[in-house]
Parts: sequence; C-alpha cells; structure tokens
Amino acid sequence: MIQLTTLLRVENLSFRYIDTEKWAVEKFDLEIEQGTVTVLAGQSGCGKSTLLRCMNGLIPHMYPGEYLGGITMDGLTVDKTKMGELAQKVGLLFQNPENQIFMFSVERDIAFGLENLGLPREEIRRRVDEVLRLLGITHLALRAPHELSDGQKQRVALAGVIAMRPRLIILDEPTSLLDPQTASELVALVHTLNKDLGITFVIVEHRLELLTPIADRIVVMDRGRKVMEGKPADVLTDPQAAVYGIAVPPISKLYTDLTRDGLPLGTVPDTPLELAEEVNGR
Amino acid sequence: MYWLAGGFLFRRVVSPFHKLDPRTKLIIAIEFFALSLAASSIISISAVLLSILGVAVLARSLRRIGRTMAFSLVFAVFIFSINIVFGLGILRAFTYALRFLAIISSTSLFFVTTSPDELEQIMKWLRVPRDVVFAFVTAVRFIPVVMLDTFQIMDAQKSRGLELEKGNLIARVRNMIPILIPLVVNSVIRSGELAEAMESRGYGSTPHPTSLYRMKLNWYDWVVLVASVAVFGVALYIYHFYNFPF
Amino acid sequence: MSLIEFKDVTFVHQNGVTALKGVSLSVERDELVGIVGENGAGKTTLVKHINGLLKPTSGSVTVDGKNTRDVSTAALARNVGIAFQNANQQLFSDSVENEITYALKNFGFDPGLIQKRLDWALGFFGLEEYRKSSPLILSGGEKKRLTLASILAWDPDVVVLDEPTVGQDAIQKEKLAEIIKLLHSAGKTIITVSHDVEFLWTLQPRLLVMKQGSVVGDGPCATVMKDRMLLEGARVSQPQLVQLYDALNVRPDQPFRDVSEARAWIERGTS
Repeated sequence: MIQLTTLLRVENLSFRYIDTEKWAVEKFDLEIEQGTVTVLAGQSGCGKSTLLRCMNGLIPHMYPGEYLGGITMDGLTVDKTKMGELAQKVGLLFQNPENQIFMFSVERDIAFGLENLGLPREEIRRRVDEVLRLLGITHLALRAPHELSDGQKQRVALAGVIAMRPRLIILDEPTSLLDPQTASELVALVHTLNKDLGITFVIVEHRLELLTPIADRIVVMDRGRKVMEGKPADVLTDPQAAVYGIAVPPISKLYTDLTRDGLPLGTVPDTPLELAEEVNGR
Repeated sequence: MYWLAGGFLFRRVVSPFHKLDPRTKLIIAIEFFALSLAASSIISISAVLLSILGVAVLARSLRRIGRTMAFSLVFAVFIFSINIVFGLGILRAFTYALRFLAIISSTSLFFVTTSPDELEQIMKWLRVPRDVVFAFVTAVRFIPVVMLDTFQIMDAQKSRGLELEKGNLIARVRNMIPILIPLVVNSVIRSGELAEAMESRGYGSTPHPTSLYRMKLNWYDWVVLVASVAVFGVALYIYHFYNFPF
Repeated sequence: MSLIEFKDVTFVHQNGVTALKGVSLSVERDELVGIVGENGAGKTTLVKHINGLLKPTSGSVTVDGKNTRDVSTAALARNVGIAFQNANQQLFSDSVENEITYALKNFGFDPGLIQKRLDWALGFFGLEEYRKSSPLILSGGEKKRLTLASILAWDPDVVVLDEPTVGQDAIQKEKLAEIIKLLHSAGKTIITVSHDVEFLWTLQPRLLVMKQGSVVGDGPCATVMKDRMLLEGARVSQPQLVQLYDALNVRPDQPFRDVSEARAWIERGTS
C-alpha cells in the first residue's frame, strides 16, 4: 500500500480577472495526491481553464486580478514563485496542438524549455533524446511542425513539457481537436506515463468516457465552485451530474437508471462490455 | 504566389553547400552581392551570374534559384527598358538588368540553403536581442499555418457568397476585409496562446538561455571560406582595375 | 432526380495526393446524412465539392440538376450552406446583425426580406440580446450558434455541418442536436460530418463511412454501426449503446437508439 502524499493543495482559492465582477473561481479547495489522475469536468465557462492556470502559475503572473487563498505545489507557494521555477514542477499542455510549438524543428522545440532554464548543452541533448524515445517520436526529431499530424503535434508538445521533468502535468482539453482514435492513443500514452513514471495528471476534458478507465477521481466544477468530487463510478452514476451539464456517458446513465429501478447490478461498469456481462449474468 | 515564395523558402536538402556553417554561407552570399555591384560590364556580371548558378547546382537547388530568376525577369526587363529610355545605351542597360538578377538570386541562394534554425543562430551571433530573434523564428514557423488559415477563411467566406474575382478595384479591396479581419483576429488569439505556452515553459527565466545547437567552423568551412575570399579578392581587383571591352 | 449526385468523383490535390477515389453517391431531398471517418479520410474534401469550392479532377458533381463545374461557388452557395469547424475563420463584422445579413446582401435579397430573415435567425438561435454586439465578445458556443444563424438566414435547402461538436460541452451538443432535428423536420437536407459517434447516434441519420478517399459504408445508422469490422477498418468508434447491444446474449433486432430503449429491454428481459 503506497503512502500517498499531497502534491498540490488548493486552499480556499478565489480569483477574478481585472475589472470583472464575477469570480471565475470561488472558494475552491482541492488536494491532488501524487501519482494520481484527476479529471476536472464542467460546462463551458465554469472556470476549469481559470483553475488550471492558477495551478501552474499563469495566474497571477501573466493574468493579474484579485487573488485570494493560495495554492501550494510541492512545498512552493504558487503565486509567490517565479514561472521558471514553477515550470519544473508543473507543466501545462494546451488544447490547440498548433499554438504551443514555436520552433522550426521538433527537437528544437522540445529543447525550448530547457534552454530557457539555462541547462548545459549536453544535458539538453540528453533530455531531448530521452523524451523523444519515451514518446516514440525519435523519427520525427528533425521534422517541421507543419509536416506533422495533429496527434503527432500533441505528442511533440507533451514531449516539450515532459522534458522539464515536472511532477505534475495539467492537460487542458487535450483531445478536443483530435479524432477519437488519436484521442484514445493520447489517453493511453498518459496512462503509461502515469503508471511507469509516476507523473501526476490533472486533465480537463469533456469526453469523459475516454478518461474514466484511467481516472482515479473526477472533480466537477460549476460557476467557479467545486460541486462534486469522487471516484468516476460514483460521480457519473450520481443523478446530480447531469444537472451540472457534464457529459455522462450513455452506459453510466443506463446503469444509474437500471439500479434506480431496482435492478441488482454489481460494480459500476467502465465500458459497455462490462455492463453487458453483468446483464447477461442475470 | 506559392510559386514565388518557393524561391526564398528553405528546403531540407543534403548537399555540399548546405553542409557549410551558416556564417560561411552568409559570407559567400555577401561576396556574390558585392561582386554584383562591383561588376560594370556584361562579361563581369555574367561571370558572377554563372558562378551563382554554379553554386546553386552544387546546392542541388538550381530549380529553386531558376524559379526566382524567372520571376524577377519581369523586373529585369523593366530595368532594362527604363535604362534604354534614359539613353544609357543597350550594353549598360543589359548590365544593370543582369545585375538585378544576380542580386536577387544571391539573396535567394542564401535563404533557400539556410534553415530558420541556422538563421536564428546567425542572428544570435550578431547579438540581435533574444526577443527579436524569437519573434522572427516563430513568425517563420507559422508561415504555413497562416497560409492554411487564409485558405480556410477564403473557403468560409466564399461559401457565404463572397466573390473575390468580381468587381472593380474598390470592390476587390473591400472584398478583402472579410478575409483580413479573421486573419488578424486569429493571429491575435494565436499570440495569446503562444504567450501562455512560452510562459509555461519558463521563457525569460534567465537572461542567458543556452542553446541545443551551436555553430562550429570545421576544416571544410575554413577551406571554402579562404578559397571564396581569395576568389572574391581577385575578382574585385580585376573588376575594379581591368577595363572590359563591353 | 437526386438533389446531390456524385458520379465517379476523383479529386487530386495540387501536391499530388488523391483525396477522393471514384466516389459515387446520391443524396435525396430531406435526407439526414452523417459522414464519419478518421482525419484525412476525405470527409471535408467531399463536402467542399457540394458547393463547388472544389471541382472534381475527374467525374462530376450535380446539385439540383446543375453541374458544379458550370456554376460559380456563389451561385451554388445560394442553395448549399456549409458551416465550417472554426467559427473564428468566418466572423468579421462589427455587429452580430451585420454578420447575419452579410450573406443575404451578397445574394441580393431585398431589404424587407433581409429584415425578416434577420429577426427570424436572431430569435431561432437565441441571439436577440446580442443583436448590436460585436461577434468577437461572444463565447465559443455562442459564436458557433452565430455561424449557423448566418447560414440559415439565407435559407439554403442543403445545410452541411463540418464537425459542429468540436469543443462543445454536453448541453451545447444537446441544443445542437435539437436544432438539427428541427431543421430536418422543416424540410432541409442536412449533412453532418463528425467524429462524435455518440452525437450522430442520437440523430440516427443515414451514415456514410469514409476511408482513405472512398465511401466504404452507406446505410441506415443502425445497420452500419453494427458492422464492427467495417468501423475498425475505418478507425471509427462504435457508439456505447451499440457496443452494449453487440455484447448482450439476448437482444432485439436493432441496437438501442437511446438509453430508455436499452433500459426497457433489459428490464423486460430480467423480470
């Protein structure tokens, strides 16, 4: 039994952007345990993106506003630590694969963050090669970004983040612009990185059915507040989930309806096959 | 448009010329440029032009350079005509037209054989401020993206009845507004997203970032460099002191 | 005669890549069609032929009796509206109402009709409160609605939606599905290109499966989605309810169209 330690702690966090009345995030409490995969869900405009940016320091460093409460990451207080230092603890992968690759070649882009940290050339070279191998994109090292598919671009962007050796990686709707097969591949990659390297993940996502097999916990946000939190099975089978506008997969909804009508089914199914097995068993 | 741009866009090719240190390539391009200006007779300028084409062959980029020259032919003819009109005589006019072609193709030669990464290193070597270098590299990196964006915007607006080919000059300029505004807006959005990504990867956290790549002059570079300077020196001397028949 | 007819259409890009290989299909008036396939299979290339943005390299495309080679895109667009994926690549006006009336002015509608269509579009898409606002301040979902509004304003017979659900949350998708069903029942021919198989499943359209430039599946949604081999070959996922249907020992003739159908069947079977 592994002793879980808290890696990131959000304490009573409230934030609103400059000249705005509405609080984008309100009195938010959250603890992210090391080695876990947490999914952050909620309707558009509920504050998920804002919360993510608070976690990696873009708020308040790049987006000033009224900031109350605090976030501690691996001992550091986020709003009081410089981005350069934070970047080595928390990485952020954005939604659009295109707009996070700056350089003309893949390996050069992966090296970007490391150059910013002033690491010696040999170290940069080593980490770049390591991460290329890790993500299976060594053959793409010298390609230009416009020659890559969207799925490949996401991998390259992820490589650039991982090269900085953060302990926590946040993904902001990483699959929304990918087709389902490519999306599944990315999720499988995240799962491998989590299991093999122990990297902690926080993922904002609408397509919950892709992530439920690998998520330890789902946190639901609504209008800046945390409204639900728990294991995927519990959250998705809670009738409240639909109220908050999250995309409950059909199978989870079916399970909820069946059990509410009194059908004695076993554990909450992650996939249609699991539900079918339970039903067949009756 | 695409065809013209090809004359100045870098293409990854393996050639004895591409292998050179970017500074060597820059110096060779400058030498060609300078000789083009120094050459004042048809023979001398033709020699320069032929040398440029020769190096282009060595760089396996003859077609690219040829394309650039073909496009600039229009301007070359224009220069020729203007000079005739001003009474400078056929020989001189021809010389100036050829000079123009040589200047354009030596510039094209440099950009076609030097990758944006190498351009970046040259700029750093010339002590250009980091932010400027970064802006330049990023801009080049996004050229294909912006081009694609433009085509997609044109598709969307054409699907709403926009007819780009119709109308007089004023109408055509007005028709560009539905194309330009989304382009600009998207660029602004893109800059915002890039800024976030940059910050998140620690941009600006040290005043002296290191670099994955580095330029190094090896013996091959030195040989080529010395040879080219020698040839350049001799040519310059000849062009300056010898009176060519034409 | 079919409303849209593709006869052995092949399309080769400028760079030599063949995006469509001998595609033949017809779409009748009032049909609701869904097109699935992985990125690069040719879905967007196919639909761009319907309003003439692309002309076939060989073969022909006929829309309402007119060959797309003989007519301009602007003329075809009068009857075929395409809503592309990225709203930011279309919005440019200084106000929402100008955005909606842009196409109407291009098509030469007279002012009285323009006003009527504008009012209708604002109402139908719930954008009345933004009439005078700049399109740029709208949220992602609202921008999407605005692009649809500006297309439906000119009342085309055919409406093509290219990946309408990208980046949308559950509630926005529900609204979108409702709008599509409403428009369909109002007599429009609707073609939806989408990755989102769950979304398409709620619409139960005629389904076209594309793979590497060819149409490899064509039929009612319920039939096509049952063919797991076909879907896997085309790298298309199966909706969850169909996967469930496949795995059940006892099942009806057709896969469950929604959760309540599935519930009813299972409860009946286990009572």
